[in-house]
Amino acid sequence: MKSIKRTQHIIAVIILLFIAGMGILIFKLVHGSSFYMMNSDRHELGLVYDRKGDVLFDGSGRGSYPENYFLDVGNLIGDDKGQMDNTLVARNIEKLNNYSFTEGLNANGKAAIYTTLDHAANRTVFDTYGYMEGCVSAYNYKTGEILVCASLPSLDVTNGYDALPYFKSGTLISKNMYGTVPGSTQKVSTVITALEIMGSNKLYSKSFRCTGKYTNKTGNDIDCHNIYGHGTQNIQEAFENSCNPFFAQLIEDNDMPLDKVKKQYEKMGYVLNGADPAYIDINGIRCETASTTLEDPYEFRTQWGCIGQGDTLVSPVQLMMWQSAIANGTGKMTMPYLIDHVTDMHGTVHEKARTKFSDQLFTQTTASAIKQIMLTNGADRYTYLIPGYKIGVKSGTAQVDEGLKENSLLVGFVDDPSFPIAFCILIEDKNSGYITTEQIAKLLLDNLKNNF
Amino acid sequence: MYGNPVAYFFSCIFVMIAHISMLVNIYYNGNYDSFRSIAVLGAAVLILDISYFIIILAFKQRSYVLDFLLILILNMSVIFQSCFGKVGFDTKHYITCIFCLAACKCGYLLCRDHKWICDKKKYIYGAVAVLILITLIFTSAENMWLDFKKFTIQPSEFIKPLFVLACSTSISEQQKKHKVLFVNVVYENIALFILTAAICLVQVHSHDYGSLPTFLSIFAVGFLLRICYPKAKFSKKKLFAVIACVLILLLIGLKYAPEYVQHRLHVDIWSDTSGDGYQQSKALIAIACGGWFGVGPGKGFLVNVFAFDNDIVFATVSEEWGLIYALMMVMVILVITVIPLVNPARSYFHGTMSACISAALIVQMALNIFGSCNLIPFTGVTIPFISTGGSSLMVCGFMVGMLIACQSPVFSKNAVKQEETSGPAWRWKE
Repeated sequence: MKSIKRTQHIIAVIILLFIAGMGILIFKLVHGSSFYMMNSDRHELGLVYDRKGDVLFDGSGRGSYPENYFLDVGNLIGDDKGQMDNTLVARNIEKLNNYSFTEGLNANGKAAIYTTLDHAANRTVFDTYGYMEGCVSAYNYKTGEILVCASLPSLDVTNGYDALPYFKSGTLISKNMYGTVPGSTQKVSTVITALEIMGSNKLYSKSFRCTGKYTNKTGNDIDCHNIYGHGTQNIQEAFENSCNPFFAQLIEDNDMPLDKVKKQYEKMGYVLNGADPAYIDINGIRCETASTTLEDPYEFRTQWGCIGQGDTLVSPVQLMMWQSAIANGTGKMTMPYLIDHVTDMHGTVHEKARTKFSDQLFTQTTASAIKQIMLTNGADRYTYLIPGYKIGVKSGTAQVDEGLKENSLLVGFVDDPSFPIAFCILIEDKNSGYITTEQIAKLLLDNLKNNF
Repeated sequence: MYGNPVAYFFSCIFVMIAHISMLVNIYYNGNYDSFRSIAVLGAAVLILDISYFIIILAFKQRSYVLDFLLILILNMSVIFQSCFGKVGFDTKHYITCIFCLAACKCGYLLCRDHKWICDKKKYIYGAVAVLILITLIFTSAENMWLDFKKFTIQPSEFIKPLFVLACSTSISEQQKKHKVLFVNVVYENIALFILTAAICLVQVHSHDYGSLPTFLSIFAVGFLLRICYPKAKFSKKKLFAVIACVLILLLIGLKYAPEYVQHRLHVDIWSDTSGDGYQQSKALIAIACGGWFGVGPGKGFLVNVFAFDNDIVFATVSEEWGLIYALMMVMVILVITVIPLVNPARSYFHGTMSACISAALIVQMALNIFGSCNLIPFTGVTIPFISTGGSSLMVCGFMVGMLIACQSPVFSKNAVKQEETSGPAWRWKE
């Protein structure tokens, strides 16, 4: 009998292994069924709403909306047609499907995504650009809620893609998520790095002379936008003047060893010297992280990169996120999110958003010092341009298309606990129109303030 | 069971109720043109049920459990296959199932006397060799079937039951050891090893990598029961060393497998839904569409996908009948393999045989279900009893007959006398 039992043990083991496999399979099938359905041509999509209940995307196709109603959010919210793959709908389509393994598809389900966006403010800012192009992003740096995220040119997804060959370049992407030359807004990163390496007192003790042009140690010229020069300046003055020669000399300074600069840049999320690109995840949407070249502190390319030109690229969303680390005074970024919560086909709330913070990018002392520098800049230069707000800002002008065009940027934050907004504004080819980043910032903050 | 006509009667009723409930489901949820389609199917299924219940009484077995399970699953299979796409009657599959039942009885009659079958080992080896030669000469990697115009046969399928018989062994066989270079060996074990290697090479030559794990599982179980029978002095260390060697060989095999096999191992079906991932992605979508309760018999879309009725039949059943029905189908097959645990075999030979058959049926079912659902690489083997394919069905039927033989063995006269004098049948020893 013992010998027969041995044969039974082997059968029992095989059967148990099979049953375990079936258990895994059933779990996989039930939990993966929504994903499988999204790969079929059978969908019953729900709606995407803004923070006040405005529809931003209607997957049912049954609603009636004015012409170009979705224009300002077209390339951010997207649709299910497959033309745009880095949009909220494309990346979260499973959550929108009115499907469950038990009940199947339900055309009258209540699956929906409730976003943090303020459609009215987004639309106002979008319309302000007129025929000009660029992007705007703004978020609550205390909670991480993205309130405005507009990118021009854009499209109304309800109009379809028949005119696709005639779409302007950049129509199908939200430029907020992609790298752009940051111009002098990069100097915020360079100042943070200097503060981290040498401390506030030492940095303030340093002064460099600007004569309108600086010939670096390898013989290359770094031009200043003020051809007459700014004279001898300290860090606060140079920051406010956005003086390129000052920052070139700061990078060359012996108290700024390159390895420490590189380390701090990497801590802030920069990809250096052609390393593999990285991404920030915002509810599935991939946002490019910053990249630059730091090879030799005496070479033009490195200095030019630290000034925010050349091959330095930073996405507007990341510029905005750095502002949160400064505004919060913690040195930690508040991670942005677009989805406040999701409801399933029965209307039950799932995936309620929670505020998250990044790792420590820089110390609280550094955060406090750079915050003061930016607030002083805001008070000195922007009080009349953006009245009514205590803001810390840095502007920038980025040379693109080999210097043929200039983009205008403005990054900043409102230093008000009851209105904690960080923002980044980009106007492409600024000389093609009359709108300025300050005008957009004023409009943006006014609109958000009214509904905050 | 035979001694209890009431239990026999109610078992018959249970099987018929199961089939009738499926027909009722078709009536309410199925896709059919007229009631006549269901009536024809129902009549065919119930006639086969009743005929089999009557015919098997002639065999005077100790247990009929496996017969009931076999007719239950086969007629479930007839109903499934007849409903795919639209309710009708799959005559070909029905006839194949009748052959499967006949093969079952052949298997029972041939294998019930273990002494007799043990004596025929050399013929079994010879038959396997002949089938290997036929496979090598008449089939190729592109076409594994012999075409007889009206029907086709896959010769490599028929190796399976013969290989099971070759792997089955008695304790007395294992005690016939010979000293070769300071090592005690059983000649038959070496012969079996060579036979296994030959079968594996033929499978590789035929590019039938799906059947390879089935053969290897039969061999693994047979080999384990050869080296681990109670009187064997085989230490656990040696056993683990053997298992380690097998794993290393497996890893080497996977590493140096041909390019298209490597591709199958690593394919991401969702990034290649129109290529290598086509069948699996469609199968998973169909299962998701079907949910727990299915879209209704004959209402699925998976019938438009190649091999819907064999390689991905689990998904086709899930889509039309629901995952619950598909799991019930799997459970019935699983219960067939569980029977040797409930009603143990009466000899070590029959014990090893039932273990090998259980391994073969379960591994084949696992390869099909897990492969079509992308849990493991897709191999394209059939689910026993459910998938279409005459060779597969007949072989599976034959193997169930072998399992029945393990439940209702016939002993030689001497053994019977010994059994009568020494106590109950389950105490019988070799």
